[in-house]
Amino acid sequence: MRKYLILLFILVAMLISACGENEEGNGEDDATETSAEETSASGSEGAKWKPEESIEIIAPAGAGGGWDTTARMAAQVFSEEGIIDGNIGVVNMEGGGGAVAWAHVAGFEENPYKLFVSSPPIIFIPLNGQSEYGHEEFTPIANIIADYAAFAVREDAEWDSINELFEDMKEDPESITVVGTSSPGSMDHMQFVQIAKAAGVDITKIRYVSAQDGGGLTQLLNGSVDVYSTGVAETVEQVRAGNIKVLGVTSEERLEGDVLEDFPTVKEQGIDETFVNWRGFFGPPNMSPDALAYYEAKFKELSDSDAFAEIRSQFGWDELYMNSEEYSQFLDEQKESLGALMDELGLGN
Amino acid sequence: MGSLEGIITGFQTALSVEAIFFVLIGVFVGTIIGMLPGLGPISAIAVMIPMTFGMEPSIALIMIAGVYYGAIFGGSTSSILLNAPGVSGTVATAFDGYPMAQQGKAGKALAIAAIASFVGGTVSVILLMLLAPALSSVAISFGPPAYFALMVLGLTAIASLSEGSTTKALISAVAGFMVVTIGIDAQTGTQRFTFGSINLLDGIDFLVIALGLFAIAEVCTLVLNRKDTSLKKFHNIGSLRLSKKDFKEMSGPMSRQSLLGFLIGVLPGAGATIASFIAYISEKRIAKKPEEFGKGSVKGLTAPETANNAATSGAFVPLLSLGIPGSGTTAVMLGAFLVMGVQPGPMLMTERPEIFWGVIASMYIGNIFLLILNLPLIPYFAKVLKIPRPMLISLVIVFSMIGVYAVSFNTFDLYMLLLFGAIGFIMRLFSFPAPPFILAFILGGMMEQSFRQSLTISNGDLMIFITNPISCALLIISLLSFVFPLIGVVRKKKGN
Repeated sequence: MRKYLILLFILVAMLISACGENEEGNGEDDATETSAEETSASGSEGAKWKPEESIEIIAPAGAGGGWDTTARMAAQVFSEEGIIDGNIGVVNMEGGGGAVAWAHVAGFEENPYKLFVSSPPIIFIPLNGQSEYGHEEFTPIANIIADYAAFAVREDAEWDSINELFEDMKEDPESITVVGTSSPGSMDHMQFVQIAKAAGVDITKIRYVSAQDGGGLTQLLNGSVDVYSTGVAETVEQVRAGNIKVLGVTSEERLEGDVLEDFPTVKEQGIDETFVNWRGFFGPPNMSPDALAYYEAKFKELSDSDAFAEIRSQFGWDELYMNSEEYSQFLDEQKESLGALMDELGLGN
Repeated sequence: MGSLEGIITGFQTALSVEAIFFVLIGVFVGTIIGMLPGLGPISAIAVMIPMTFGMEPSIALIMIAGVYYGAIFGGSTSSILLNAPGVSGTVATAFDGYPMAQQGKAGKALAIAAIASFVGGTVSVILLMLLAPALSSVAISFGPPAYFALMVLGLTAIASLSEGSTTKALISAVAGFMVVTIGIDAQTGTQRFTFGSINLLDGIDFLVIALGLFAIAEVCTLVLNRKDTSLKKFHNIGSLRLSKKDFKEMSGPMSRQSLLGFLIGVLPGAGATIASFIAYISEKRIAKKPEEFGKGSVKGLTAPETANNAATSGAFVPLLSLGIPGSGTTAVMLGAFLVMGVQPGPMLMTERPEIFWGVIASMYIGNIFLLILNLPLIPYFAKVLKIPRPMLISLVIVFSMIGVYAVSFNTFDLYMLLLFGAIGFIMRLFSFPAPPFILAFILGGMMEQSFRQSLTISNGDLMIFITNPISCALLIISLLSFVFPLIGVVRKKKGN
């Protein structure tokens, strides 16, 4: 009988080590190896840098979210289209809204095999004082896609345009509750605040509730709150079912796609402001210029590929490519404007 | 398309050879991964998602769903045999399952768990099939005040989870509340008790605490009592056969908790863990011999096992009919749907009936597979107990550590596991019960958040808890369940 048992444990052990490899890629052990290889790569061969071991892309959040999906889809297209030969593994590293993963990558200075995906929280979270590492510490490689915010209310709500809502909020900002998934001072809150400020609402008086685990939509539908600040994609099915209506989206122009094209932008309603939920890839601090040039080119190729275009349309993302230099500059500007906004709210640190 | 036609389409999908094959794979992988302490449905689904690339979406999702409920099904095994919860939904299973195994009735305990899981799973799938569209309004009926009141109701049970000193149970619960406040506060974004450590930003994972307080503490106790001969029985597996009396005892909890577990599962955010605790507590409340609970009671094992599987099916209501993921696991499932190009939501039932109903119909088949996979394998699973004690202890420690590490890939959590193991061991030495700690930890976070959400919405007016009908009703029930035992005590005293 013990035979079976030993067999079972061997099976289980194999299963676990297999899962471990899939998810972890080559965790710690490549830290030492790479420093040696990296010097040889940047030293003798000069401009032509090529990955010689597997690349790890970290999604600084759990499976299933926006970062995770972006990282996995990018890795999939890189491999399937043969843009990058060799292994690319996606690793989820959850915690602190990204802070845990950033601190991890910050420890892999110059290592060209540790990339991560990020979006506006890499601006918000350091500003909130929840991460000592911000975008300045890392090497921005390229921005890839853009997503936009949507502000939704129940179908039977009294407001039919974003202006009607903001007019009521100007009169009595405390009569209206906004719900979002992130905590105050992070994305769902700040995207609403940014637009509301441009419309002239007293942003220090906005009542914001943070609800996790799908609670935002639940609370909107059952009438606990008035406005749901979220991403465009989250609203589509509910709009089609006639449960909610979108008062405004934060893109420059109307979005393309079936239901999406019916969403009015806040801009066309006379509020001169946009909010982009950009998503791009970063490398560790001080990545060598050769490795950076390599990745920049590969991400450009990814962004231009038909396969990725298909993925963009599947998930309702917009194309927004920026190379490393444009991206760095963009990030600095974002930090400045959002920092000012957070100071006004008393959330800055 | 009407529901009936939809159901028929669903069965057509679910009964295809391909679907049956992949359900089998899904539930098998789910059971195995669920059995390993700490590795739960999230890890199991994450492992399986890459396998689904290129598969027909309905088949892929049927398989992923199978992994999910398979993991909850399998999670009970390690709870019963090792006191190491396989998944968070099976913590309450250990309360009576493990004592039963210690009494040399491991086979019986596993058989009860398998049958209760099967009944809970199947009854709730029937409810899901008949009521899914109608229940979507129930799923969103709970606003923050109602969630708060539900958590209060759960907490009134702390006293009934204690053996002996109520004071010690309350101290234990307060400690649980304190620990759950660690991390970033969602309502303000402020860090609480993180001591500047990024590892504590998200608080402490439930599994770290459950495995620490149960598995590691148990291991310490086993080492301490290694010379104790009374545990010899532990090597016995006993007969698998359940007597008529056992079935009679099981029938009550099974019928009640299938329904209750399902309803709690429907509420986003509540889930299998809370359902299993509430099931355990409510059965203890109405039991004729509540003193048997915690000592290997058939009812005490049946109730959480029925409820956690019922809740798992219940969680599909908000996911499939609203596109609302009510938990970390269903969020990962939602991700899997999106990868397949399927958008769960109110339109899914009419636009992709083969997926909506196919997933539901496949759950009947999955549950049957789980039963026929698990029952004959029980003697082999239970052989774990035949492993010499020193080896078994080492294995439990190793698997607990693997489980914790696989969730976060963070060595810090391993230290936390050991810390909570030590805390759990000390608590045992001084007979502080661990279940109230765990219960307060599960309910506390949600209770605090929904309390503060409610007050933000009402501008600080506490009346919101009274004016909201659901919350008002639940609070009254909580009050009654608190007052009734007191009246009993007073009467007894008068009588004396």
